[in-house]
Amino acid sequence: MAAPTTARGTRLPPEQIGYLVAGPGRAAETALARLLDADLVRVSRDGLVSAVHQTELGVSTAVETFILVNLRRAVRFDAVVRNAAKSAEMRTLHQQLRARRLTRDPRPRLAAWWVFLAFGVLLSLLAFLEPWTLFGAVAFLGVAYWTFGAKPLTRAGRAALKDVTASDRVLTVALEGFRGRIGNQSVGELFGLPQSVVKMLPRKKRKARNGGAASAAGCGSGCGSSSCGSSSSCSSGSSSCSGGGSSCGGGGGGGD
Amino acid sequence: MAGIKDLGVGIGWRSEIDLTVERLPGVDFVEVVAENLHIGHLPESVTLLLERGVPVLPHAVSLSLGSADQVDLHRVEHLGAVAEAVGAPMVSDHVCFVRAGGLDSGHLMPVPRTRDALDVLVANVKLAQRNLPVPLALENVAALLEWPDGELSEGQFLAELVERTDCWLLVDVANLYANARNIGTDPERFLDEIPLERLAYVHVAGGEQNGDIYHDTHAHAVLPEVLEVLDELCSRVAPPGVLLERDDNYPSDTEIAGELAAIRAVVNKHRG
Ligand SMILES: [Fe+2]
Repeated sequence: MAAPTTARGTRLPPEQIGYLVAGPGRAAETALARLLDADLVRVSRDGLVSAVHQTELGVSTAVETFILVNLRRAVRFDAVVRNAAKSAEMRTLHQQLRARRLTRDPRPRLAAWWVFLAFGVLLSLLAFLEPWTLFGAVAFLGVAYWTFGAKPLTRAGRAALKDVTASDRVLTVALEGFRGRIGNQSVGELFGLPQSVVKMLPRKKRKARNGGAASAAGCGSGCGSSSCGSSSSCSSGSSSCSGGGSSCGGGGGGGD
Repeated sequence: MAGIKDLGVGIGWRSEIDLTVERLPGVDFVEVVAENLHIGHLPESVTLLLERGVPVLPHAVSLSLGSADQVDLHRVEHLGAVAEAVGAPMVSDHVCFVRAGGLDSGHLMPVPRTRDALDVLVANVKLAQRNLPVPLALENVAALLEWPDGELSEGQFLAELVERTDCWLLVDVANLYANARNIGTDPERFLDEIPLERLAYVHVAGGEQNGDIYHDTHAHAVLPEVLEVLDELCSRVAPPGVLLERDDNYPSDTEIAGELAAIRAVVNKHRG
């Protein structure tokens, strides 16, 4: 599998792609997917995740280490993702992405956004009486939009995701999440996870972050078939699961 | 016994590794701990295995057949109900006691190998058999001590038990190895003395040496020495089934598959 690259040619690991696509929750899912793929953790039917070995051998990122060291005892699947998403390691990952200008600080919409809107409208109405206030209204609304409406992905971030495809099952999680679908198959099934486990996670749309940049269409027909459901044939990006088949569908940033 | 031949190679089903057991190739049968199952609410994984035609054998740990007290018929009834729920051809427990005088040992304790203790055991086994819908197999345990004044070797004790109750034997070669290490049991003599034609199936498990004591932990890899005992057994009889027991510190799917393959290799070596 060719590793996705940024516009400057730097390799972008799946966990970072997951972050850029849908935020810290998706990055946490991707880290967990990588651990599952490497046979370092296992999940049971009742959704309990446990470490296969009591060592950190085989981990490749700080978020993966955080997950593993907190699995000395079995933890619920959704709690693993939630805890990793809120971890200091995840904040560090965010800062790294921000330092590389791939993302910017999220600007959550204020609950009282309508106050700003009302003030802007008021300024616009005042422009009928005092035309000079029109400039103030335009400037105010512009600043308000910049402050509260900006998306977290930068242009470089969007470019980094542009050619990313779900060429293996870890990248598929980064792009679609465990709850996503690829063709007529749940992404969780690529890891042999029952729906009862996958549905512990909240559903999250990916559209909001990436603006439709990355694509799942690169996953060959092998990833959509049951042959990859629980085997390792997807894990290493082998030819059976890479390529550009179209049967996986679900491409583009349609979200869901 | 109808339906018990050629079980193949199996693994102890545990909820922690249920998905592993479901997807591992080469799992011909499984064993469930009867006390962990609730009638009318079988785990989804067990139901799935049954639908695939994988035999599920209930294994009990609490009948305490070696207790001086009469066997608790509620426990026997539960074991029988589990057997019927999973359509098992047989059930099993251990040659041991786990409670006495109202106290629970929390461990499978060996019974004294005296004729008096054998009489008590035989009476309990016969009572359990009368209340079970399927045949009962009994397993040799790993012992860290031997009671004084033993009158029979472990093999002789089990042979008489089989003769008097017509029960089946579940031979745990890891327990046999542990006893060889800890209390000097001779595995070959044991195998010479037991009626191998009454062998139901075999257990294999891992353990670790801790100081002078070998612990049958079921949480470590299977030692080559344990496979050598299995090899010795297979040189005498083709076991109807061999099952890997793992109860904690579960390794990766790959490692479990490797242990099952190693067991299968020993079994197949003697099948020509
Ligand atoms: Fe055993």
